[in-house]
Amino acid sequence: MDARIDKTLKITTPSDLEIVMTRMFDAPRHLVFDAMTQPEHVRHWLGCAEMPMTVCEIDLRVGGAYRFTLRSPEGRETTLQGTYREVVRPERVVFVERILLPEFTTPEYQVTSAFADIGGRTRLTTTILHSSKENRDGHLNSGIERGVTPAYDRLAEIVAAMA
Amino acid sequence: MTSDPLSTTFAALADPTRRAILARLALGETSVMELAHPFDMSLPAISKHLKVLEHAGLISRSREAQWRPCRIAPVSLKEVDGWLGNFRRFWDESFNRLDDYLADLKANQRVKTKPRPRQKPNKEKQRGRKNR
Repeated sequence: MDARIDKTLKITTPSDLEIVMTRMFDAPRHLVFDAMTQPEHVRHWLGCAEMPMTVCEIDLRVGGAYRFTLRSPEGRETTLQGTYREVVRPERVVFVERILLPEFTTPEYQVTSAFADIGGRTRLTTTILHSSKENRDGHLNSGIERGVTPAYDRLAEIVAAMA
Repeated sequence: MTSDPLSTTFAALADPTRRAILARLALGETSVMELAHPFDMSLPAISKHLKVLEHAGLISRSREAQWRPCRIAPVSLKEVDGWLGNFRRFWDESFNRLDDYLADLKANQRVKTKPRPRQKPNKEKQRGRKNR
């Protein structure tokens, strides 16, 4: 058997209200499930190098809340917070979430993460369901404006280096 | 064409509609018609934006197909990937980190639980860690 798997992140918009992400992981689903739902694990991977996680709290039960805060180098905070609706280890987790930014808070959307066992590996399918197309599109485009400044700064550095 | 490539890229990015178009294309190639849909703009107006993006090397358009699908040109975007399609980038990076983290978790589990509790013997388990 070919040991390699396609780990490409696939993002589709099957309806006006949804964003669906699929991704394969080379690990059994109980591990992937735990890594995505336990704070001691989540803090190790969620986010990106330039935005470390400063808050990572999870109360993993139906009705339980969670809160993740990511901080940019300029001190700008983005918080994902929500409440669990379904917790079925290691198959499925459903929660409602909103994103808190300095300027505004997004409307709530529902996220369903399904963990499929594919011969000892895991296919994660995350379905994000919004209440309107505008909100859905806003989510997809989120971060573009706030990301422009650092990118322009970097471009400015490149230009300076070229001069 | 008097300006250097970076200035052209800058100018192309300095417009919110064009950034929104790029964000949409980060999901995959699409037609001008579909791109125009979310914007309150005529097709010629969208086409004008596309020309600017194409000239800056940020997108490419198929010459073959009748409907000339637009797609992102990944090469020139390398320089400016700090902002594009933050949603994809956020999850792409996070999941790549999760891959590494899961590999560590798997390795730790192997060390901790020598006789695997309550699991059927399985040849799969004998495999060593693959080279990554």
